[in-house]
Amino acid sequence: MELTFYIAAAVAILSTVMVITRYNMIHALLYLVVSFLAVAVVFFTLGAPFMAALEVIIYAGAIVVLIIFVIMMLNMTQEDVQREKEWLQPATWVGPAILSAVLLAELVYIVVAADTPAAGAVVAVDAKFVGLALFGPYILGVQLSGILLTAGIVGAYHLGRQKKKVIHRFLQERSAAA
Amino acid sequence: MSQNDFLHLMPLLILTFAALLIMLVIAAWRNHKLIYVITAVSFVAAFLSLFELRGVVSYAIEPLLVIDGFALFYIGLILATALLISMLSYAYFEQQKEQKEEYYILLTLATLGACVLVVSTHFASLFLGLEVLSVSLYALVSYLRVRERSDEAGIKYLILAAFSSAFLLFGMALVYFSTGTMTFAGIATAMATLPELPLLLLTGFGMMIIGIGFKLSVVPFHMWTPDVYEGAPAPVTAFVATVSKGGVLGLLIRFFMEVEGFRYPTLMLIFTIVAIASMFAGNLLALMQQNVKRILAYSSISHLGYLLVAFLAGNRIGMEAVTFYLVAYFITTVGAFGTVALLSGEARDAEQLEDYRGLLWRRPWTATVFTAMLLSLAGIPLTAGFVGKFYVLAAGVNTQQWLLVVMLVLNSVIGLYYYIKIIAVMYQQPDTEREPQQRQRPSVYVASVGTLAVLAILLVLVGVYPTALVQLIQDMLYNMPAVVAR
Repeated sequence: MELTFYIAAAVAILSTVMVITRYNMIHALLYLVVSFLAVAVVFFTLGAPFMAALEVIIYAGAIVVLIIFVIMMLNMTQEDVQREKEWLQPATWVGPAILSAVLLAELVYIVVAADTPAAGAVVAVDAKFVGLALFGPYILGVQLSGILLTAGIVGAYHLGRQKKKVIHRFLQERSAAA
Repeated sequence: MSQNDFLHLMPLLILTFAALLIMLVIAAWRNHKLIYVITAVSFVAAFLSLFELRGVVSYAIEPLLVIDGFALFYIGLILATALLISMLSYAYFEQQKEQKEEYYILLTLATLGACVLVVSTHFASLFLGLEVLSVSLYALVSYLRVRERSDEAGIKYLILAAFSSAFLLFGMALVYFSTGTMTFAGIATAMATLPELPLLLLTGFGMMIIGIGFKLSVVPFHMWTPDVYEGAPAPVTAFVATVSKGGVLGLLIRFFMEVEGFRYPTLMLIFTIVAIASMFAGNLLALMQQNVKRILAYSSISHLGYLLVAFLAGNRIGMEAVTFYLVAYFITTVGAFGTVALLSGEARDAEQLEDYRGLLWRRPWTATVFTAMLLSLAGIPLTAGFVGKFYVLAAGVNTQQWLLVVMLVLNSVIGLYYYIKIIAVMYQQPDTEREPQQRQRPSVYVASVGTLAVLAILLVLVGVYPTALVQLIQDMLYNMPAVVAR
């Protein structure tokens, strides 16, 4: 089981890196699906089969498909891929990447150096247990999530209703200069 | 949940129902005035319901929330501020062509999020409260989308807030990993046996400080503040500067009191550096600005630095000072942004220094109120700001934090310059007689002018006779077991 965990975790990290570095949006999204599936496997090996199923159904299933539909409607062409490529020059990302790598190394050192408690036997948390927790002690948390969604929907409704196109001032200046 | 739970959560429930009611009313009949009245009434009702709970020592709704004197005081402060901001919003939004009604739903929900923050004792409720607050603010910041800067401000706030939330979550995960619990009390128990922080736990706290520091806009997590303050509508700016920061600060105090974070020198060192950097960066950057909203943004960064000085005292006087200063800061900031909102037109906010030239001759009363607010921010005697700063200094001296105290005094002097600069501009004789601004019906303005008058009276009242407020704060802290123990 431990080996499965490590393989799935490695796949998740690799596919997420691929999501960031792809020039073509659709390719990036397909890697995102892989990343979600890998995370689902991680959940499964840690004893949360219900969470794994939710991850597949909601994230990989519903959300990414929605994003893919939107991108297909945007009608991306080869030009957009080219522009993506121009934006993602090594000069842009090498500096931050090196600094982040240093931080990552520190974090890895901290996690490795810490005397972590020995992992207990994996206990499967099934749907019934999740349901009992959510509608038992954490009922207020569920209600707060509902409020969170309300805020998101009302905000999205208001911001999405506008027809007027507003351009960022930097872009405006550039287009005026060109 | 028992009936008692409902009773103790009454203020939060009223806000929730208000948001739903407004939504239903909008579906039936769009009317700005009606929606505004519903919002104001529900804020008042929620505030009054707090008096029903007066005397509650500590009522835990396991495992997520706790209602105690501290929570009641902070909820009261948040609700009163939200009420004042909604009063200021009416005249401001009445002149906009945009659909205005959704603004009140989002305002109510954001206030609810801030209230959840100050009552939470669990990482889950902490995060949910913070997200309710942030998600409402994303939309509020870019509410007037026809304006040039609103999209920029909204996107900046969205990306940085989401990024800081990720840090906060990672930090929580590390803390959970090393302590095995997500309740504040559980973390305190796990930490009580440790003489010093293990590296992993420290990393977790460090990442959480990033998330919290972003919300408080302290240096070095302050980059978003001037742009967002400038791009957001003036009442929303007032909300971001007061309610959102107050809620997070209340949470920070509760968490630190519970886990006794003050006995770890590493954490104290981090906060000391952050406090000094915030004071200096805020004040020095404000000196160069020509935009009133940006000046107030940088000034709010430095004020958070002052607040951290009192917070670092870590004892009862320190917490009293933080709370008192927060009240003074709320009154003053809402007053200052309220004036900006009152003077703003449809196309843009009155944010350039030029807009204030000769204000005293055009609108003497508004100019007087604005002057009082700026003097209070600078900490001139007879204003709430002075007593607050005095309290903070007392807390610092009391715990012999000489470095912080000296920095605070030094920064107060620097700060004086740019507040006086705005006042000087207001008192200049205007060169040319300008066209008098198109005024709206007086009935629209009554709420705004009344609110500003109330704020000005409160400002002087707290400045001249602070004893009543101090007494109230002391009573409230008596009700908090973690504080009484020190």
